[in-house]
Amino acid sequence: MRLRRATRYRFLALTAVLALVLAACGDGRDDDDSSAGGGDDNGESEDGAGDGFEIDTVNCGVDPGTVEITGGTIKFGTSLPQSGTYAAFSSILRGQQAYIDYLNAEKGGVDIGGTKYQIELVAKDDAYAAEQTFSNVQSLVDDDDVFGLFNVVGTKNNLAIRDYVNETCVPNLLAATGSPAWGNPEYPWLLGTFLVPYPLEMVAFVDYLENQKADATIAVLRADDDFGQSYSETLKALIADTELTIVDEQGYDPETGEVASQVTSLAATNADAFVLGATLLACPTALNEVAASGWQPITYMSGTCTSKTLMTIAGASGDAVLSVTPLMDPNDPQWADNDAMVLYKEKVAQYAPADTDVGNGIVAYGWTAAAALEELLSRVEDPTRLGVMQAARTLSDVSGIGLQLPDSTWSVGEDDWFLGENFDLVQYVAADGFFMVAGERLDLPGETEEITPENLING
Amino acid sequence: MSPRVRLVVALVAAVAGVYVFGYWVAQQNAPSDVRLFTQALYVGIAATGLNILTGYNGQVSIGHGAFFGLGAYTSAILVSEHGWNFVPTIPVAMALCFVVGALIGFPALRVKGLYLALVTLGLAVLFPDLTDRFVNGTGGTNLVTLRGAEVAVPDWYVWFPDPIADFFDEWVGAQDQWAYYLTLVLALVLLLGVFLIARSRFGRSLIAVRDHEAAAETVGIDLARVKVTAFALSALYAGTAGSLSVLVNRLANAGKVETFQLSIEFLVAVVVGGAATVFGPMLGAFIVVFLRDRIDNQDSLSDLFSDPNRAKLLSPALFGIALIILMYVLPDGIVGGSRRLVRRLGRRSRRAPAPASPLTS
Repeated sequence: MRLRRATRYRFLALTAVLALVLAACGDGRDDDDSSAGGGDDNGESEDGAGDGFEIDTVNCGVDPGTVEITGGTIKFGTSLPQSGTYAAFSSILRGQQAYIDYLNAEKGGVDIGGTKYQIELVAKDDAYAAEQTFSNVQSLVDDDDVFGLFNVVGTKNNLAIRDYVNETCVPNLLAATGSPAWGNPEYPWLLGTFLVPYPLEMVAFVDYLENQKADATIAVLRADDDFGQSYSETLKALIADTELTIVDEQGYDPETGEVASQVTSLAATNADAFVLGATLLACPTALNEVAASGWQPITYMSGTCTSKTLMTIAGASGDAVLSVTPLMDPNDPQWADNDAMVLYKEKVAQYAPADTDVGNGIVAYGWTAAAALEELLSRVEDPTRLGVMQAARTLSDVSGIGLQLPDSTWSVGEDDWFLGENFDLVQYVAADGFFMVAGERLDLPGETEEITPENLING
Repeated sequence: MSPRVRLVVALVAAVAGVYVFGYWVAQQNAPSDVRLFTQALYVGIAATGLNILTGYNGQVSIGHGAFFGLGAYTSAILVSEHGWNFVPTIPVAMALCFVVGALIGFPALRVKGLYLALVTLGLAVLFPDLTDRFVNGTGGTNLVTLRGAEVAVPDWYVWFPDPIADFFDEWVGAQDQWAYYLTLVLALVLLLGVFLIARSRFGRSLIAVRDHEAAAETVGIDLARVKVTAFALSALYAGTAGSLSVLVNRLANAGKVETFQLSIEFLVAVVVGGAATVFGPMLGAFIVVFLRDRIDNQDSLSDLFSDPNRAKLLSPALFGIALIILMYVLPDGIVGGSRRLVRRLGRRSRRAPAPASPLTS
């Protein structure tokens, strides 16, 4: 039949769309036990390589002691926001992929018990949506056969996969959030990263504030979610026995990032100090609003905001803002000649995409996270999933990796599973564009477990 | 088209449908693909419900993500905090959403068109806040997660004699297959529901109210009852979809952006598939879900950029472009477009009688 040209084109377009749809045709099915939901009760309780902590493998779907690293490559999977509102975090991938490429190319890979293994990283985009993270992780474990997960971004995202990872006994290493929830002993298959735990940030600030003005009044702006809650709940608990008081607390919606009216209310209190439990764009926006209002409090800002990109938006309003960091700031001239810093800048320029900004704290974090992964793997005695997780649970005295602060060590304690308890209180110098160390190094091993309200850890 | 041709086509379509959906999807695909089909099905259920309200009854809603979320949270909370088995939570979610839908439907009587859309948008934005306040999720968030055991395949088939039980075990034994078949069954039942509604007096009154309220009223149609029932039914469908999504995602979650995006997704599925048709929204849902998945996972895009991350940032834009092209080509959706095509073919074959040719005699 002869069709008019317009109709023909319509058919063509329709066919093209349908072809795209049908391109999702099946790749066949592999119904082995590892993809089934229930699984057998397979394990005896394995005696771990490290001391102190034993992971109970009785309820694992597949015995993690039998899942070995095969061939010369270890495959890790990660899920992070590469699109959407939180796409800024995708820079983590640039940093960590650069380190992995450098490791594979120049050092031959990671050394585990004398054998070198290359690392392969498979990354999937979840646009920060917890459902997508879950779907990605299932797909990574089932279809991509990853050995473990690494640096999954987002608190809700890691919470969404926590049960699954626990049941399939897949290592989820260095979950990229500072949430206190990772201290929950019921979930041994998840290790949080070395970001300073949010409650601990408050310890640092309260100490500082007590030295500055023991009876200071505090105004708090925090995100209306678990992230913001970590700051406010811990702050309240910490100042209970001091003369510090909270005069006003305002919440903002993390999805819209609107903070203007809240800052106006807080500025009206004219409090001595201002705690900003916020992240991403809300940080510089709030700082700008505070500066515009004429209020000049001692300001503390979440450690997640210490990136050059965000602080450039804040500009002069960010001057003298306090925060914490477990890493060296690439923009800080005092580290310019530091060997690790030189290596970082050189290798990122060499291996990362050309437009990567070495000064971006998020890239620096990714770089160090990959270095932490290498360090963890190099301490593994038994190259199975179980062996890797045991090594993670007993990780101690990690120092000098990536851009870790000099003379700092990170350890996982038996009761306190938080790595990032050795860090610096820093203060932003707007004129020079970097965070300057503001006081003595803070070494608070075990503190997170102690000072965080229990419901935030075990909730 | 002659009735016989039509019958043959329908028969072929039915057999193909049974084969594809009854066998091929769940038995010949990797679990992650089966999950994608299940997702398409439950999005289709929600879109079908929205179609009752928007397509047949003309009330635009961009807030059905909230009903979806309500269904999801109902199932998730009943299972994780009250120890229910999963399947019984579905009728509860349906009933609850029906009631809430009716409650929303009453004040909705007072607003029309764009203003109704805005009110329903408010619903989509309010719902996540309500969950933040009232849901005691994990880790201090409003996320309710379920363990594997809570969404596992129930062993109902142990009641059957062995060969049948083995058959079920092989076909429905894996969790993704179980979720798929359960969703498929519910989708078929609910599609049948829309089919019957469309042909019933209620269906005709839905359309009458949409097309000309004043005239409908003069004929004796109770406007309030029709409109509120439409709202309640559409909410029931969306709630069922939400409930089923918990089987796939093992969680119930609500965020402003996510709830709003879901609402838009349902609406897009309705429009792309064909409003006021029975199968249109389901077809639209398949397209929306698979198109987005294909674009998100399109690796060849990464070659266009030195940084693969850039390519990912583009994927929502690409998805939008694909949709725009589709709507330009088929303004009344796919089902609407194919109907027009069929009619045009029918006209052509009747208009041109076969010429007598010496070669064929």
